[in-house]
Amino acid sequence: MRRSLTIFTAVTKNWMRSRSGVFFSILFPIMLLLVFGVIFGGVGGPSTYSLFVQNLDRRPNGTPTELSNAFVEALNSTKTFSVTNVAVDADPRTYARDTLGPLGGSIRILIIPQGFQDDLLNGTLKVRVGISQGTLLTIYELSRPYLNETQRAAVEQGLTQMSQYNASIPDRSTSLTLVLDASDQSSGIVKSIVVSIANAFNYQLIGARAVVNFREESITVRQFRAVDFYVPGIISAFIMTNGIIAVTTNTTEFKRRGIIKRLSITPLGKIEWILGNVFSQTILNLMLTGIMIAVGWLVFNVQAIPDAFSFLLIFLGSAMFSGIGMLLSGLVRDVEAASAIGNAIAFPMMFLSGAYFPLEFMPDFVQSIAKVLPLTYFSEGLRSAMIYKYSEGIFTNMAIVSVLAMAFIVLGSLVTRWKEK
Amino acid sequence: MAEMVVDVDSLVKEYGSLRAVDGISFELHEGEVFALLGPNGAGKTTTVEILECIRPLTSGSAKVFGYDVTKGEDVREIKKRIGVLPQDFSALDKLSVKENIDLIGRMYEKKLDTLEVIKLLDLEEKTKERFENLSGGLKQRVGVAAALVNNPQLVFLDEPTTGLDPRARREVWQVIENLKKLGKTVFLTSHYMEEAQVLADRIAIINRGKIAVVGSPQDLISRYGGLKTLVIRKGGKKLAKTLQDKYGGTSLNEDGDVFVKVDDVKEMWQALSTVTDISMLTDVYIDKEIEIQTPTIEDVFLKVVGGRITEEGELK
Repeated sequence: MRRSLTIFTAVTKNWMRSRSGVFFSILFPIMLLLVFGVIFGGVGGPSTYSLFVQNLDRRPNGTPTELSNAFVEALNSTKTFSVTNVAVDADPRTYARDTLGPLGGSIRILIIPQGFQDDLLNGTLKVRVGISQGTLLTIYELSRPYLNETQRAAVEQGLTQMSQYNASIPDRSTSLTLVLDASDQSSGIVKSIVVSIANAFNYQLIGARAVVNFREESITVRQFRAVDFYVPGIISAFIMTNGIIAVTTNTTEFKRRGIIKRLSITPLGKIEWILGNVFSQTILNLMLTGIMIAVGWLVFNVQAIPDAFSFLLIFLGSAMFSGIGMLLSGLVRDVEAASAIGNAIAFPMMFLSGAYFPLEFMPDFVQSIAKVLPLTYFSEGLRSAMIYKYSEGIFTNMAIVSVLAMAFIVLGSLVTRWKEK
Repeated sequence: MAEMVVDVDSLVKEYGSLRAVDGISFELHEGEVFALLGPNGAGKTTTVEILECIRPLTSGSAKVFGYDVTKGEDVREIKKRIGVLPQDFSALDKLSVKENIDLIGRMYEKKLDTLEVIKLLDLEEKTKERFENLSGGLKQRVGVAAALVNNPQLVFLDEPTTGLDPRARREVWQVIENLKKLGKTVFLTSHYMEEAQVLADRIAIINRGKIAVVGSPQDLISRYGGLKTLVIRKGGKKLAKTLQDKYGGTSLNEDGDVFVKVDDVKEMWQALSTVTDISMLTDVYIDKEIEIQTPTIEDVFLKVVGGRITEEGELK
């Protein structure tokens, strides 16, 4: 153990004094967290979609009609759109293109046609009269046996007059024009929001109310944002890269330069050497975790709280990925090949394991691949421990990581050559 | 007779069909500097690494301090007692001189004070310097310091000066001479003839896995070094022919230097007299530079191996 601690101290000092080592092990993950947090993390308030609105429904004096104005207000009230009004006499497409500029984003235009209010009122009146007529007819059919001839004649006359009035109302419906860019990935979301607002508008005008409603509930006690998901994900991904890429590259470099051979001439044993490296990786990874949590808390107010299980998982993860690193460095001779193989394994694993994106979002075959990747279980375990406090998730994944850690350490020590051939 | 430190008997090491070490036998005694001299690929490092217990042997036996290099428990005892400067020694770049020596020292139950070892190797000014910032010669001195930190009885120095400039090489020689003064037993491998001749008490010349000869430098030179050589710089063809006719064993190089092999002092004076006579008669050779070359280990090597070793260690 004393010799392992000496190796741990030396390897850790050597790493901490290496600028490139510190950059790729600590600073790069922080940069990635900041980028992911800002772009995908739901930080800085809800996202808004730009929407150009040309309201052609105007009174003779040029002011918008009440209903068309109300529709635009309804769009604004969702706080989903950043609405820009387009003048009546302007070409909306040209205006939007000029306003956005070459890098301004996707063009989305809503055109409210002239006569929007009239058509809406006529259509609404026609629907309401039709509903009233239908209601009266139903009541009349039910009460008919109890009415005398005079009463029947009066009701039938009323219904006939109502029918005639309804027929006199112009049978018009209004159409909003939504111009969307085919390449705009948000077009589906924008369209569904505008349609929802139009439906709500329709229901309001005809006096209908929704019968089926939704009530949202969270299965967790605490509310989480996407950035809360990313913090343990990025930590676990970089614990993996530190283990696989850094251990593979450093060990191969030490081997190439004869440093391992020099140490093997001393009473230091192979297992002591491996343990020293695992301890070093554990400390590096605990530092990484601490710094990432601090940055996450300071910048994004992340609620990732490590507990004893998190620390144990970090140790086991460090052992597992160091074991993989030792295994790879035992199989390759030169540093370039070690770096290439380390990267070829680490980078796909980073993106296929659900460390960065929930596995549910991925195709079935990717989910199948994820099931055989060690990082899947490590990141899930760490997320369960640090965020969800979900004990089953912690223990199941910890058990898998423990078994894999032992297996890779054994394999790593078997291929680590402590004696020349 | 000093205590036997290393005892190698009929040692063989094979890599597949290649026999790298081919049945060599030698002994190393306490307090002596023993040099294994040979070109690259001769089997020097393989032999040393077998004795350092990091490479298995194929057959034969190798004992260090009476312990068998192939037995687990014996290996632990051997490792405690030896210090090693491996070929192309390197250390952790970002650690200081002291930290690197400490790293090796802490692997042993007992070790010398690191600062003492640093002082011994005259590295005090570089104590806090990172290994990556040191010159080649200083790096080798750190390697020797690391080899001494466990206060070993036997020190292996595998090609300690390869790749160093002449000044750095001389510095390392000084270190090795100091080890000898400290009473350490030193096992040195080298392809530099001069190095072996200057430093070693005994030299074993090895080629293609076999030891050709073993002995002290003087002994080897007297046995295999051949005759002394009288050299007349820029003597020219005419003088060469005259001396060849009179004494034989005369040669001429591309620069016109004349080399005359002489058996003894008497013959040397005779040859010199001939040169003087010709010079007086013709007034041609009087200003020539004349020197007497005694044979070296290089001549021994040429004699027993049949070639010379280049600066890079290749056999020519």
